[in-house]
Amino acid sequence: MTASTNTFDNTPFVIDYGPDLEDAISQLQERIEATPKLTQRYPARWLAIKLLEEDNIVSANVAGISGGAEILTIASQYIANLRSKYGEDVDTLIADRRYSWINHLVREIIRQGGADEPTTSDKIDQIVTNRWLGVPIFMLAMWAVFKLTTDVSAPYLDWITDVIGGPISNWALALLALVELENSWVASLVVEGVLAGVGGVLVFVPVLMSLFLALALLEDSGYMSRAAYVMDRLMRMVGLHGKAFVPLVVGFGCNVPAIYATRTLENRRDRILTGLLAPFMSCGARLPVYVLFATVFFPAYSSLAVFAMYLLGILVAVLIGLVLKNTLFKTSETTGMIMELPPYRLPTIRNVWSSMWQRTKGFLHGAATIILLTSIVVWALMAVPVGGEGAFADTDIDSSLFSRVSDLVTPVFKPLGFGSWEASGALISGFVAKEVVVSTLGQVYNVGGPDKVLEPTTFLEDVVSIVTSFAQATIDTFKSIPLILGIDLFGDEAQDAPSELMTAIRTGFEASSGGRGALAGLAFMVFVLLYTPCMAVVAAQRQEFGAKWMWTSVIGQFVIAWLVAFAVFQGGLILGI
Amino acid sequence: MINTTHTIALAGNPNTGKSTVFNALTGLDQHVGNWPGKTVEKKEGRWKYNGSEYRIIDLPGAYSLSSFSMEEIITRDFILEEKPDLVVVVVDAANLERNLYLAVQILEAEVNVILALNMSDIAAARGIDIDVSHLSEVLGVPVTPMAARKGQGLDDLKQVIADALNSTKNGGSHHQ
Repeated sequence: MTASTNTFDNTPFVIDYGPDLEDAISQLQERIEATPKLTQRYPARWLAIKLLEEDNIVSANVAGISGGAEILTIASQYIANLRSKYGEDVDTLIADRRYSWINHLVREIIRQGGADEPTTSDKIDQIVTNRWLGVPIFMLAMWAVFKLTTDVSAPYLDWITDVIGGPISNWALALLALVELENSWVASLVVEGVLAGVGGVLVFVPVLMSLFLALALLEDSGYMSRAAYVMDRLMRMVGLHGKAFVPLVVGFGCNVPAIYATRTLENRRDRILTGLLAPFMSCGARLPVYVLFATVFFPAYSSLAVFAMYLLGILVAVLIGLVLKNTLFKTSETTGMIMELPPYRLPTIRNVWSSMWQRTKGFLHGAATIILLTSIVVWALMAVPVGGEGAFADTDIDSSLFSRVSDLVTPVFKPLGFGSWEASGALISGFVAKEVVVSTLGQVYNVGGPDKVLEPTTFLEDVVSIVTSFAQATIDTFKSIPLILGIDLFGDEAQDAPSELMTAIRTGFEASSGGRGALAGLAFMVFVLLYTPCMAVVAAQRQEFGAKWMWTSVIGQFVIAWLVAFAVFQGGLILGI
Repeated sequence: MINTTHTIALAGNPNTGKSTVFNALTGLDQHVGNWPGKTVEKKEGRWKYNGSEYRIIDLPGAYSLSSFSMEEIITRDFILEEKPDLVVVVVDAANLERNLYLAVQILEAEVNVILALNMSDIAAARGIDIDVSHLSEVLGVPVTPMAARKGQGLDDLKQVIADALNSTKNGGSHHQ
């Protein structure tokens, strides 16, 4: 590679705009140079050009300075003269001159070899953005993303569960034993509140990391822009700009950045509409709930059931978009779309890692604050005995304060098939963050915890088992990679023997639905998909769109979630599924 | 030369690899926030080189310096009001003509500019042969070819930045 001179030319850079424009520029420049307040702020020639371009911000600034009004008057005379002479706005003339100057320069410095030959990028685009193939290819890409998140992360998920439920709980109890607290409420708080809560979050870090990895690969390779382009026609049907697809895709990772990503849209109408629809995109935190329920109720078709949730979220967003387009957002049309398709590039490890790490860090930050707090609050609610039975931190959960609070809302969910205080309780804490739905279920169904018989092990044995099981998880993950591309839709996805939690959920849902557990489980998954994703999204919506739209979103989503889950459960009953 | 904090702004169209250059210079020493009162992301970082420390601002991707979008206004205001010591304009060598539209306008704002000719590898693969020294001569600024994603030309860029800042320190700068 050759570098150029490493110093600056001392003569200022000037483009020749032609005699008429140059005359106007130099006259204005002279006036500007006689006004020190202006030269302190702007280079004189630059300002002259901006005034002729009728740049409204710069003109407003100049108007506010003494002597500025006079200069603006002179500028407008030149603008009027030039416009009548050329029949075009002066900013267009200036832009034309700039482009032709650049064009001239580029001709001088570039020698193009294989000029009009389509690039590899163009060739890929002919297929990927093809009218008929574009959408199927996009769906395939999305399918690969979900296989990656469900299958590849699974071995690590098991590993984290085992480590937290085994050695870490053991160590915590052993440390508490040193201060003779191993049988007190403190031990209960640590193991059932803190470790169950945060541990239940950490368990899903592998899932989210692989999802963020997939999103980073899509973004860094340049495919994400194609996805937006391909989806443009579909997006327009729901009254959105093709660019709105990007926040919506980001929403599959996490709805919170999706809300912030609406900032890339030009007008407020598009931003708000996208911000109302983004929460229907099923985020990574909802995935664990689907995975758990799909494994409990649809073990043979769990991938399909999970995938169906994602599709349902999109479908609901489309329908709501159509409704809003013709009602609340009827007035203005979306602006035309200008979208750049950057050439395809091999994703770099650095960019992919940085993106994946920042997002995962954001999730962990949320986990550490909101979720830990929720887990402790829920634990405390469960620790407080109601009606004189039991003592603090030593009461049956069904006679705890939590069960009474949850019981209050239970009737709302009766027609949906999951009118039990356990399910209502999980949905209450799920309003704060979806990550805690599973851990709350773990707590309300009273599985795991210190009552579980743990085999006595030495510290060294623990460490060895942590390391060897991690290695085994890594091996299992690599073994699963070839299966991502396998078209194994209805294949054997039999899970391990159901865990205690799974058995408890099945029993609970069968009881609350009159023996239609699978239907109630499906309705529950649908409800989790459609109601408010988490407190952080609510906060983001308030910040971006104001309290009015925030409440519209919260109430609207609850109503929609209830109606769709109602339709699923009652419809299923009628059809006799 | 210790503790001289120069401010370097990175400007360029979207998708020119500006972020890659920013990451390469600052490593993990970054701070991501928002521009005051604006809903556009502001990335700032520190870069240490040969005992000097530099403040690096990653300006939002923009196509022009007009006032049509928030990104353009932020870029323009930063260049004119904060008067960075140096603006590194990252351009896509494979789409030079379109990218120069912003570069030329930044040059017109009479600031010290270095043109980072990124994605030179892609341009070369497409048979686009750029006369770098002639480009540098016409624009009156240093031009460095690079392929940031492959890590090529980054050392050159760092050296050119350091040299340029030294020369403005000794020679005349555009500041009043």
